[in-house]
Amino acid sequence: MLISQKSKEIIDSCRFCWMCRHICPIGNATGQERNNARARMLALSLVEREAEPLSGVADNIYECAMCEACTKECVTGWDPVKVVGEVKLELALNGETPEYVNTMLDNIEKSGNVYGKTAICDALKAAAEKHSAKTDTLFVIGKTAMYNSCTNAKRAIELLEAAGVEFTVLADEPDTGYEMSFLVGAAQETKDVMSKAAEVFSQYKTVVAYDPADAKVMLREYKEWDVGMTAQAKTFTAYVAELIKDGKLNVKKGAKKYTAQDSHWLARSLEETEPIREILSACGEVSEMLLNRRDTMLAGNLIMNEYMPDVMKRVAEDRWINAKNMDTEILVTESPDEYELLSATKPEGIELMTVEEVVLQCL
Amino acid sequence: MQLNSFMMDIIASELEDAVGRENCSTREIDKLTHSVDYFWLSRMWADRGERMPEADIIVAPKDAKETSAVLKIANYYKIPVTTWGGGGGTQGGAIPVVGGILLDTKRMNKIYDVNTRGMYIECGTGAIYKHIEWAANEKGYATMHYPSSLTCSTVGGFLAHRGIGVSSTKYGKIDDMTLQMEVVLPNGDIIETSPAPKHAAGPDLNQIFIGSEGTLGVMTKAQMRIYEQPEERRFRGFLFHNMTDAFNAGRELLQKFKPSVMRLYDEAETSTLIKKIVGVEKKGAFMNVAYEGPAALVEVEHKILMDIFNKYGAEDLGSEYGEKWWDEKITFFYPGNMMDLPQCFGTMDTIAPYDKIEKIYWEMKKAIETNFPQARFIAHFSHWYEWGCMIYDRFIVDGDKVPKDPHEALRLHQAIWNCGVRTALANGGVVNDHHGVGIKLGRLMKEQYGPAMQVFEGIKKQLDPNGIMNPFKLGL
Repeated sequence: MLISQKSKEIIDSCRFCWMCRHICPIGNATGQERNNARARMLALSLVEREAEPLSGVADNIYECAMCEACTKECVTGWDPVKVVGEVKLELALNGETPEYVNTMLDNIEKSGNVYGKTAICDALKAAAEKHSAKTDTLFVIGKTAMYNSCTNAKRAIELLEAAGVEFTVLADEPDTGYEMSFLVGAAQETKDVMSKAAEVFSQYKTVVAYDPADAKVMLREYKEWDVGMTAQAKTFTAYVAELIKDGKLNVKKGAKKYTAQDSHWLARSLEETEPIREILSACGEVSEMLLNRRDTMLAGNLIMNEYMPDVMKRVAEDRWINAKNMDTEILVTESPDEYELLSATKPEGIELMTVEEVVLQCL
Repeated sequence: MQLNSFMMDIIASELEDAVGRENCSTREIDKLTHSVDYFWLSRMWADRGERMPEADIIVAPKDAKETSAVLKIANYYKIPVTTWGGGGGTQGGAIPVVGGILLDTKRMNKIYDVNTRGMYIECGTGAIYKHIEWAANEKGYATMHYPSSLTCSTVGGFLAHRGIGVSSTKYGKIDDMTLQMEVVLPNGDIIETSPAPKHAAGPDLNQIFIGSEGTLGVMTKAQMRIYEQPEERRFRGFLFHNMTDAFNAGRELLQKFKPSVMRLYDEAETSTLIKKIVGVEKKGAFMNVAYEGPAALVEVEHKILMDIFNKYGAEDLGSEYGEKWWDEKITFFYPGNMMDLPQCFGTMDTIAPYDKIEKIYWEMKKAIETNFPQARFIAHFSHWYEWGCMIYDRFIVDGDKVPKDPHEALRLHQAIWNCGVRTALANGGVVNDHHGVGIKLGRLMKEQYGPAMQVFEGIKKQLDPNGIMNPFKLGL
């Protein structure tokens, strides 16, 4: 395989080590031996030794949510997710990506998003149109929310309006490249998509990414892959926390008890864990799940939901069990993926809210 | 029987009917990932680009009922069944060495009850132990079973080979932590062991199946003990100038109270692993002791500990190294810290009373280093009882001294194991303390037990007359 020397070292280090098995949301949901970092690395080590074809591991590679729980857990610093990203690229370059991935790539080419959707809900469209004028701040909805979480994206716009912030929402919002990076890693095509987006984003001083996944690529991959973007990227959660701190959002503390469902993109990839707690504690009491902050557990990924919906359902259900075990009253999400998948599996007796919903309620 | 493709399809369709098609797999990736465990030979085989023996089909039942259906099918067609939990065993116990059905237990991972009145968790044996620890922690309790494989192994895996954690001196082995179990016998019957683990209602059924390594049936559900979190957990590190003093101090301490952690490292391991991970630079034998519980009791235990260890000339290193050791207790086993390929290595843990244990250590060290000059021998002593303790002794052969030919490497590995374990047996030790037997040590079981082996063989013959359950493991 044409992968980096570092990835080869990771493969040979992780192939017989199970220390991160317990933390893999996919392995926990499926109970499948192949769904853990050691199994994946063992299989890849046999590909490296020509005892297994690359095509034999393709599906297994796409079963990884790239949530970096295993990477965070490894005390000796190995990063199985890096390998997954590189092998995705290798599969793409060899024309060996699974059919369902090809379908999603076709969708991106034709419709601009993996879901193959073209229609945005009218309410979001109308809310966005009010902010078409150029300002210093660009609010990026992202493909996931635009096509799957319309109401929440609209609420986020309403919250920024309530803060009196001047901001722009683009009718033809460019693709951040998150979807491509998730599907084929650091392919030239991914970098091209990112560069086009960065060119647009650079016309603003600040870019606020509603979706933590988009924020992650802007703040991490753009830098790692030399995608020049001059605007300052901020996560929506951190931006809202700033607005509260600056007195632009006058929230009133109530008696409700909130529990954060930390987005792994924010908590692990960007090491941002406190803004959501600052927001929630300004609005009410905060309680924690056992696995919180950088130890957070994935509650769903909508791209993976396209090809393994049963597993995504179980992933979300597992997170609800974590929440119930700690007597959570209101679970608060940062990520549209997690909101949508948790919403679809919500048990009785616990509320589910987004960050913007919480703040709007306590204004 | 020969599994031709027609019969394979017939049998697969019956298994799919029993557990659902999505829970049966003949995919290469699933066969491959269930063929290599933590056994050095399976790892070496894979490292050399060889494929280990693989199952014909992977089956994942969700409960005892489905497990029963699988075993009935297997018995009818006389197909071998190898049970796989986390696959983290070191003895090759979970490797499907003769193919057939690989029964993966991880779908049986439900946590049914965190019972804080009965002080147990009832769970499927496919639950990862760390997950039941989380469930206990969520209610303010703990399982106190903290082996290095806590995060990767299942409840059933620990039960299958009689596992042990670092706090065993106070809280016991896995066999001390089990209240009741549900077991599926090879003929498909589902049984429950006694509702309480201590009784006079005949021999202990729990202890027949615990340690049976999948040869007598499949444990599907278990009630595992939970404990109150200690008000205080205190650590103390010591340096002994000779091993005899350390054993005497340890034995005397155990007559007074039970610490949770007691680990004595020989000079070789102190100057390598302990120096690297914990930072102890001084020469000698490092010993870490943890004692925990109500703060008032801990204070009393501290005084007793200091008095006894002082009497035996132990140098007090304070609490820092002990705390560091606790924080890093699993770090020892991560890639980069642990022995790894291309080295050839093994852990020959054995156990004996205090009157024999020190001699076993020196004899094993001498036997390995004399007969295999290419090998190093390091050891520590953990899991202490009032009557004796366990040696966790390892041999390590550096990669440049390991034969390139995998078949010859296998022979070297087997020869070192024969030498080490036979020396332990000759001096009053046992085949193994807590890693189990598997295929690695099966041949040595008869050497330990002699005619007593017929007890195990008799049970095996009665419960599994077709010999389908985990063939060639445990010497059965």
